[in-house]
Amino acid sequence: MPGGEPASSGAFPREQAVDTANDIIRANGKLRRKMMAMRLRHWVAVALVVCGAMVSRAAAVPNPWEQPAAALAEQIAALLGPGQARITLRNLSTVSNDDLPAIRKLLAQDLKARGVVVAGTESASTVRVTLSETGRERLWVAEVVEGSETQVAMVRVDRGATRPAQTAGSLLLRRQVVFTSAEQVLAALEEGAWLVIAEPDALVLYAKSGDGWSESRRLAFVERRGEARDPRGVIVTNGEGFEARAGAMRCEGRFGVDDAAGGWPAQCSESDDPWIWGPLIAPSEASTKLKAFFNAARNSFTGVVTPNLGVDLPPFYAAALVSRAAGNAALLLGGVDGKVQLAESGGLKNVSGTRDWGSDFAVVQSGCGAGVQVIASSSGAAASDSLRAYELPALEAVPASAPLAVEGSVTALWTAPDGKSVYVVVRGAGDRYEVDRVTALCD
Amino acid sequence: MLRRFAISCALIALALPAAARTRPHYGGTLRVEAEGDPWQRPGGLARRLVFDGLTTFDARGAVQPGLAVEWSSDNNDHRWQFRLRPKVHFHDGTLLTSVNAVAALQAACASACPWSQLRAVGSSVVFVSDAPMPNLPALLAGDEFLLALTIGADGKTPGGSAGTGAFQVAGFVNGVLTLIANEGCWRGRPFADTVELRVHRTLRDQWLDLSVGRADVVEAPAELLRQAQQQRLNVAAQPDAELLALQVNDAGPLANPMLRAAIAAAVDRSSLENVIFQKQGEMSASLLPQSLSGYGFLFPAEQDLNKAQALRGGLSTPPLTMNADGGGTLQLAAQRIALDLRAVGFNVQMVAASVQPTNLALRRLPLTGGAPAAALDALLRAAGQPMAGVGDNPAALYKAEREALDRHTLIPLLALPRAYAVGARVRDLCLSSDGSPDLADASLEDAP
Repeated sequence: MPGGEPASSGAFPREQAVDTANDIIRANGKLRRKMMAMRLRHWVAVALVVCGAMVSRAAAVPNPWEQPAAALAEQIAALLGPGQARITLRNLSTVSNDDLPAIRKLLAQDLKARGVVVAGTESASTVRVTLSETGRERLWVAEVVEGSETQVAMVRVDRGATRPAQTAGSLLLRRQVVFTSAEQVLAALEEGAWLVIAEPDALVLYAKSGDGWSESRRLAFVERRGEARDPRGVIVTNGEGFEARAGAMRCEGRFGVDDAAGGWPAQCSESDDPWIWGPLIAPSEASTKLKAFFNAARNSFTGVVTPNLGVDLPPFYAAALVSRAAGNAALLLGGVDGKVQLAESGGLKNVSGTRDWGSDFAVVQSGCGAGVQVIASSSGAAASDSLRAYELPALEAVPASAPLAVEGSVTALWTAPDGKSVYVVVRGAGDRYEVDRVTALCD
Repeated sequence: MLRRFAISCALIALALPAAARTRPHYGGTLRVEAEGDPWQRPGGLARRLVFDGLTTFDARGAVQPGLAVEWSSDNNDHRWQFRLRPKVHFHDGTLLTSVNAVAALQAACASACPWSQLRAVGSSVVFVSDAPMPNLPALLAGDEFLLALTIGADGKTPGGSAGTGAFQVAGFVNGVLTLIANEGCWRGRPFADTVELRVHRTLRDQWLDLSVGRADVVEAPAELLRQAQQQRLNVAAQPDAELLALQVNDAGPLANPMLRAAIAAAVDRSSLENVIFQKQGEMSASLLPQSLSGYGFLFPAEQDLNKAQALRGGLSTPPLTMNADGGGTLQLAAQRIALDLRAVGFNVQMVAASVQPTNLALRRLPLTGGAPAAALDALLRAAGQPMAGVGDNPAALYKAEREALDRHTLIPLLALPRAYAVGARVRDLCLSSDGSPDLADASLEDAP
């Protein structure tokens, strides 16, 4: 409405109300202009404040090109000495062309501060600046041409890290780093101030130390042969302690150190016993732990499980107990053949919508949406894995979150003891391993 | 590097079945074919399967621990100490020790080692040199310094080729080298049970075998990459993995540097790139390609016949001899270069590869990727022109490369990719930064 005043429809018919309002506006034209002027001043003031805030914010954010421009200008000035020079700039890198004027301006300012004034074509000296890069870093190169002599100056420029933005979904996956290591991590379990890590050759106890963890005890496995190239492990709570499996090794122990009992009460031995594959999240009254026999030579489970589910299971990489709409539980299997199937009601049923799944998944009780979701690793390239939450309303996996990118490949994924989050092991650049806790939040 | 990494793994997506992607399967036989000798240096396919180095390159060319778990230098990089990984065994069961590691390293480079002293100290190997060796960890990751057992546990020289690698030699019958999985490999057992490496196989036969399912991994040289794309083959390629270069003998008729400079100016790289190598290489007048150094553009790559004529002046030379260290395509490239040189008055005669020495030699030299200083170091060593170690400062590296090129004894021509065509049953085949296929990490979809 003109003037921004809401027209009252009151008891007037619609057309009459409009006419009346127009009359009011005409009658109050001077007042209206005065109010508009006041509003204009108000908005100009607001705009100035906002612009000022943006400018101050921009000033607070360091320009990434400042430092390299200054460093290159210093080298150029050292080669040229005070005087005039013509500058050309070309871009052979992934730096946006939109940034070139700013870089050019920075270079000119920094050169001027060092006694070199940027001049036109009449100058005897020319500085050809090339923004170049390798696969690892950016390289800014200046060719300083004086007569027939050309000298070269170079500075390295960090590429800077960029992370792809996450798109929204009905659930939001949040990742929190728990532990990082240069050693290979097969599995991990946090319990209060203690963290147990399964490595291919040892079980390691870490104690909370400030914001991180410090190694407290290490239980080396006896020398073994025939370890897999991508060995697997799992650690689950077991009464007051834990049970860990790492390849053919089985360990039992307690969290913490008991010096009176000789240090860390934990022991390991080779074992063919089935793995406790869990904890598995089932309807609370039926919470159970499934045991599955593991074939260390093939790095997969044989399909023989206890208790018997009344159906022949194929060899599988991952399994999780999921609650179904009818209130019963079903076993979700990630087969060695890549098929994802549900074992329920004495039969095996294929689950569709899982083509993007990798071999690792775990169940989380988020309380959002259907309440329970499956978080699965992706089937993408090994160097750029991701995690995504799915729901299984029927026999189809329906995405419930946007993919959460991880900087590396997911090597293990299991449900945390509280059932509300999952742990994931990611092998990143330089074979560094990271244990993350991933929680599904209602978006 | 993104470009390097993005296509250094086989384009497996084309071969994905309808089911979800799984962990790699263990088992099965991987059938690989190659034109060359499996044990040749550099690039022999069996070498990296059977032997390991003290260090290794990751997919991005960064140096990572191999048989050594850590290393340090002192005395301004004149002395390096590498601590060996414990509990590593050679295929015959011999424990890796500093003593047999020293013997293996010394045997690897014989009299051309980059160090002056090498000794075993406890569980470490110590290198000492008169000149600084800033790039030694990267150098030791190269093909040249893989450790083959030379002293058995009984102190005698063992028979066969025993290493610590993912595969061990099982036999060589009818041109097929059979390698079986090393169950006790320190990096874990490889996925495939067996690798059958059929050697001295022509490219034509390799591609035929791939097309009828008799081979899983075959060579795809740069000049055939376009054809591979047209045939929709899965290809794993590592760009800039080799440097095609003309080596110029500075003794004899080309002792005058002006003549060598004239040769450098006369070569037409664009015809090599566009015609002979079907636009699958990249012209390079620098030893390190632009993707590695970032300053490659400072070296103009265009042919300049006027400059070549001027440099040659009235100097006359007897007929020059040239050979090429490869068949078909390299011979064509050498003939093309001979034509270029004839245009400025050099008379060049092609001779067999076995003829040594020649005035000119067309060579493929390995580019290791990773840190440019280490790559330059390794390249010049491979060319038989080692330089004093240069740190990773780009200006110092440029200066060192400029000095090396100003001698005109090695004329860079093209940076070439190394590539392999891969069958549908193979997954996760990646190439290392030097372009060699990482067969130990590849698996077979239909493994039992």
